[in-house]
Amino acid sequence: MSIQDNYLKNKKNIFFSENKDIQSHREKLINIFENNRFDKKNNESLKNINLKKFIDFKYRYLISEETSVINNNQENIYSIVSVNGQCSSFKDDKIEITKILDEDYNDFSKNNTIENNDHFVNLNSLFLNSGFKIVIKKNNNIKIKISNIITDDDLTIFQKNNYICEEGSSLNLIEEYENKNNSISNILNVIKLEKNSQLNHFLIQDNSPNHNLIITSHSSCKKDSTYTQKVYNFSEGYVRNFHYSELIEANSEADLQGIFFLKDNNTTNNKTFVKHLAEDCKSNQVYKGILNDRSKATYFSNTHVDQVAQKTEGYQLSKGILLSDNASYFSKPELKIYADDVKCSHGSTIGPIDENAIFYLRSRGMSKIAATKILISSFINEELSSIDNEQMSEIIQKKLVRYLSKVK
Amino acid sequence: MFLEIKDLSVKIENKNILKGLNLNINKGEVHAIMGPNGSGKSTLANVLAGKEDYEIINGRINFKENDLFDLNIEERAQEGMFLAFQYPVEIPGVNITPFLHSAINSKRKRMNEEEIDNLSFAKLLKSKASDLGINIDMLKRSVNTGFSGGEKKRYEILQMSILNPDLAILDETDSGLDIDALKIVTDGVNKLKTKDNSFLIITHYQKLLDYIKPDYVHVMVNGSIVKSGGSEIAAEIEKDGFQKFQ
Repeated sequence: MSIQDNYLKNKKNIFFSENKDIQSHREKLINIFENNRFDKKNNESLKNINLKKFIDFKYRYLISEETSVINNNQENIYSIVSVNGQCSSFKDDKIEITKILDEDYNDFSKNNTIENNDHFVNLNSLFLNSGFKIVIKKNNNIKIKISNIITDDDLTIFQKNNYICEEGSSLNLIEEYENKNNSISNILNVIKLEKNSQLNHFLIQDNSPNHNLIITSHSSCKKDSTYTQKVYNFSEGYVRNFHYSELIEANSEADLQGIFFLKDNNTTNNKTFVKHLAEDCKSNQVYKGILNDRSKATYFSNTHVDQVAQKTEGYQLSKGILLSDNASYFSKPELKIYADDVKCSHGSTIGPIDENAIFYLRSRGMSKIAATKILISSFINEELSSIDNEQMSEIIQKKLVRYLSKVK
Repeated sequence: MFLEIKDLSVKIENKNILKGLNLNINKGEVHAIMGPNGSGKSTLANVLAGKEDYEIINGRINFKENDLFDLNIEERAQEGMFLAFQYPVEIPGVNITPFLHSAINSKRKRMNEEEIDNLSFAKLLKSKASDLGINIDMLKRSVNTGFSGGEKKRYEILQMSILNPDLAILDETDSGLDIDALKIVTDGVNKLKTKDNSFLIITHYQKLLDYIKPDYVHVMVNGSIVKSGGSEIAAEIEKDGFQKFQ
């Protein structure tokens, strides 16, 4: 079935299908699909992807009534269970959770940071069937943990979430994606940081082999705000992490980090893209991967420095360990600099585990497998030791131990 | 015989490096091997420690009644062999203390000895480090990471004194050391020397042998030992170089 037929058939179950402006935008998107079918060579969003699975999918969505927001009775800590992409409304003096509205539909595309040809974002816009909006009110400092639950097999979730951190607010956001059913979750997070606000965003991904997670985020930072994102991908199923950040006012920062642990035939595609659109801003993009068996990964990083963005600091780093001759990791760092007073760098190092280090450790009595595991742990030591949340640190350590137990 | 190397020939990437080398070391003996660059000294050290890049063409090595080739790298270490590396590898993110603790316990396990607990190990490490003039802060760092050349060598000797090997191979431990560091390192070695352990010291220069007195000195040229004797050979080399042995 074509994208158009799929859309028309399921239109009544898709958000905002009565809105004429949105309808008109969606027709344009359908045209993009019809006319650009599908240039894998020149489209980063399509590399190493089983296109058939994601383009010729059978649309299925269930509305669940089980959504809940729990204020854990601990001050400033909220637990949310999002079911099939939905979340109940909630309001107190610190946060407000609502459904997304028509006006939130296309609010991320102003600076064209997300390319028009990102088919997964376009699919999200076309088939949008779930999502919520969370506003952190001015000068509040809170923690939110969101467990993203999918209730059934063969669901296609197209979810859009908006996060707004009002002036002077601070949010620690932990999102867990741990699903075992055979579904597709295509999620777009649009994040807005007002002046002097801060968002520390942790994403823990640990899905089973049949679950496909496509997650895209777009953050925009106003003056003196900081967005930090840390992605821990332990999934055995396909994951796409594409994260875009715009530094739109002075002295704002974006720190996009990720670690992925792959095995078997699994694939992950990753991208980080930071657009510096104001002076005195900083960005950091660091992804590390450990790949075993026949797994494959890609990572594209991109720093774009606008001509007004003087005194920019922008750093990129990509590192990978290949534990098998059959694993592959393709990394492409890019810098586009139009300002003359900047400090920017990029680097990429991918290869097998250091045999000299293995020999050194074994020569002190450590077994080969123990030496390999200690070197894998040391490879990501900096990222793991920087987690200042004890509970998170324990969760990640347990998942790491589970991954290492399969390394032979 | 503690270590018996018989007719050992080794090649790497189709290049013959060791050519019928023979060497016997008894318990309690200190042997020094001297030789010019490229004579195969470090290859011998690496082959003894079990580095897998080399192809053994001929010969055998017995270590403490074991056929050495039946033991993998870690089993050799656990049996009491220790190589102090010429170029110790930097391993960022692997902290010195837990690494050494794990190393000593893997040896104890093989010897059916009780594992050493955290507290006892910390005390042992602190005291050995102090003997070698190693700052306690250094023990909080990653293995060899950011160490100066002298610190790396000192740290090799610290590991040696913790693991207390039966046979220690020192591969050009003197290279890159200033005179003060050389004294500290050689003092560490001398303290460790007993009638039950042996040392194989690989060096270019006699200087090291002024501080660690060898029982035997061997001259290695072009992959085999061409002359053996006492410390007078070292003096001879210091005076005339290796030319006359080639």
